[in-house]
Amino acid sequence: MPLERFAQSQPLTFGVELELQLVSLSDFNLAAASPDLLHLLGRKPFPGNVTPEITESMIEINSSVQSSYLPLLTELLDIRSTLVAAGDRLNIGICGGGTHPFQHWSEQKIFAKPRFQYLSSLYGYLAKQFTVFGQHVHIGCGNGDDALYLLHALSRYIPHFIALSASSPFVQGHDSLFDSARLNSVFAFPMSGRAPFMLTWDEFADVYFAKMERTGIINSMKDFYWDIRPKPEYGTIELRVCDTPLTVERAAALAAYLQALCRHLLERSEEPPAEDDYLVYNYNRFQACRFGLEGSVTHPKTYETVSLREDILATLAKVEPHAEALGSMEALRHLAASTAAGSDASFLRRQYERQGSTEGMVNAAIQRFRGERRVG
Amino acid sequence: MPDLLSVLTSLAWPFAIAVAWLAGEFGQRWTGLPRISFYGLVGFALASSQIGVLPAPDAGAVSLLADVAFGLILVELGYRINLRWLRINPWIGVAGLAEALLTFAAVYFIAAAFGIAQITALMLAALSMATSPATVVRVINEQRSSGQVTERVLHLSAQNSVLAVFAFNAIIGFWIFRTSEDLGDAVWNSLVVLAMSAFTGAVFGMAVPALLQAIRNPSQDATVAFALAVILLVAICATGGLSPVVSTLAFGLAARHRRVAFSQAQRNFGALGELLTVLLFVFAASTLAWDKVVAGGTLALILVAARLVTKTLGVTAFSHLSGVSWRKGAFTGLALAPLSVFVILLVEHARQSGVAAVEELQSMAGVTMLLEVFGPIVIQRALVWAREAPEQRHAA
Repeated sequence: MPLERFAQSQPLTFGVELELQLVSLSDFNLAAASPDLLHLLGRKPFPGNVTPEITESMIEINSSVQSSYLPLLTELLDIRSTLVAAGDRLNIGICGGGTHPFQHWSEQKIFAKPRFQYLSSLYGYLAKQFTVFGQHVHIGCGNGDDALYLLHALSRYIPHFIALSASSPFVQGHDSLFDSARLNSVFAFPMSGRAPFMLTWDEFADVYFAKMERTGIINSMKDFYWDIRPKPEYGTIELRVCDTPLTVERAAALAAYLQALCRHLLERSEEPPAEDDYLVYNYNRFQACRFGLEGSVTHPKTYETVSLREDILATLAKVEPHAEALGSMEALRHLAASTAAGSDASFLRRQYERQGSTEGMVNAAIQRFRGERRVG
Repeated sequence: MPDLLSVLTSLAWPFAIAVAWLAGEFGQRWTGLPRISFYGLVGFALASSQIGVLPAPDAGAVSLLADVAFGLILVELGYRINLRWLRINPWIGVAGLAEALLTFAAVYFIAAAFGIAQITALMLAALSMATSPATVVRVINEQRSSGQVTERVLHLSAQNSVLAVFAFNAIIGFWIFRTSEDLGDAVWNSLVVLAMSAFTGAVFGMAVPALLQAIRNPSQDATVAFALAVILLVAICATGGLSPVVSTLAFGLAARHRRVAFSQAQRNFGALGELLTVLLFVFAASTLAWDKVVAGGTLALILVAARLVTKTLGVTAFSHLSGVSWRKGAFTGLALAPLSVFVILLVEHARQSGVAAVEELQSMAGVTMLLEVFGPIVIQRALVWAREAPEQRHAA
């Protein structure tokens, strides 16, 4: 089946998907609770949307299509309250974070749905190791060419989103020394990484996708696990590198930053993207995963190396006029403050120090998601 | 010859435990049924009143070890109880009360209809309210189940066991009062003992986590510290005439709400817990005699059936209100079937402390034996049918 036409959507509209952890409140391990939670949530209309994920200890929520930051934030806060109330009724803890700090993948149950069972048998342990939790942000594009232009122009800013959302320092009970260890799990998949460098939709669909489909390796866009991928049926590009932050406030702010950045890039005032931009891509990406805000990145055009924190602050300043126009200045201020206060990953490490156990760390993440600030 | 006899006697328990363990492993592999059902069968077969390998139950070391084994399980159960949940979602507690009271009434009237003395019928009814925490925790851990049925069975089992202990002690108090006219004794035997037991357990629940935190290793293995504390607590209860059920449950509850996390490795208290569980289930079944089991046959069957119905009805009625499907509610009620180990230990304690009335509880022998074997199977099925535990793969 050839790749479908790129549906046109209102440029710069956006939406957020969050994969969330379901946790037992007794031992703070992941708990296979999604069937019960979805049953209870199904009784009342849900703000946005909620769906099962591959393992039963995970759910995915998504916002509706929004055009500005405040309504998006309001909707996400609504979703959070609904989830927290349902979790309270069923004795289920709900939290963000890119990984669960001590779960064992061998214990995860695969949700009973044909696609999930198929993926599980295809990828074996990779499917369960994929018990990681990400935030995806969709940005609406006027046409397929704009989508591919944005996709490649954003490649230079990918480390920003990794570092600002990083919330997966622990894996299988130990500090991985990465701020975002989650992306290492994603990288294990054969179809992960970057999209091929093409700037017109026709070339992408008729040449690249058609060839790939003939190889028989892939059937649809869903089989690509790229950092950013086009989603032709929605008319969007989808940023997939973010860990699920510990709070929905951070999730909304990240989406607003991406929106403002895209508005800036669409002005095409920056030097256009080129295949050679990807020479530094994997190394910059690694710096962001490993060191977070403390990392340093190499500029793809000038080869100048700067601290990631400074690069983020400079970019936040650069997109301010766009945030002004889009009504999301508050989101940029939130992110600027977080570059000083430290990422969610450093919050989690602090909690581990203070509580003395990974269980205490999960408990702190649950309180954080609820919006209770007393764990500081 | 006396030498050989004493050698055989001292071999009896290790032999029985080894046989039971083997039966559990092979039985589980071949049939997929829970191991503890097979421990019970072996214990019953080897008991003094059957094949006669095991000595008659007395207040000796084995009985105390059984208490320790049960204590470890109760601490784990207490640790998994979330009082905040019961406050936020009161319908769970209401459902528990409903199923317990329904069961009490049904069992009392059925026993009375069979011409059983009033006091015995009351004790029977009180004990029937309980769901044995030992069976519940063991099967849930063995199946690695999780979900609303699992969570609710744990909470309801704790709740109705405490209710049963309270009612049973109150009835015994009432009985002592009527026979010896000693009001002080009656009160002592019920409320004060329970309050003291809960208090002692709570003190342990405060002290042990505080101690662990003081030596700054909550992420390290706390199994040994908790196990030692349970042994000490059970010994204190045995000496002081306190209820080990209530105190170890209170221990776990207090420790949980102090928020010092048990790590995953300590489920079942590791190898120590596994070992003592075999002993516990063998011991419990070995207290039952074949003739008494058969004597209470018809009544036992009717009581087990009635209890299944009342528990299922009581919990199902509130399932929608408490936030789960009718289906899950019904499976929760069904999963509350196990009874044996809890009742056996409670009756043994009463017997050992000289409450003659429990000798009348013969009709209970049939019920306990039936549920010793079938209780674990019923809860296992309920968890599998509720899709909270995987269907066991086995050779058969």
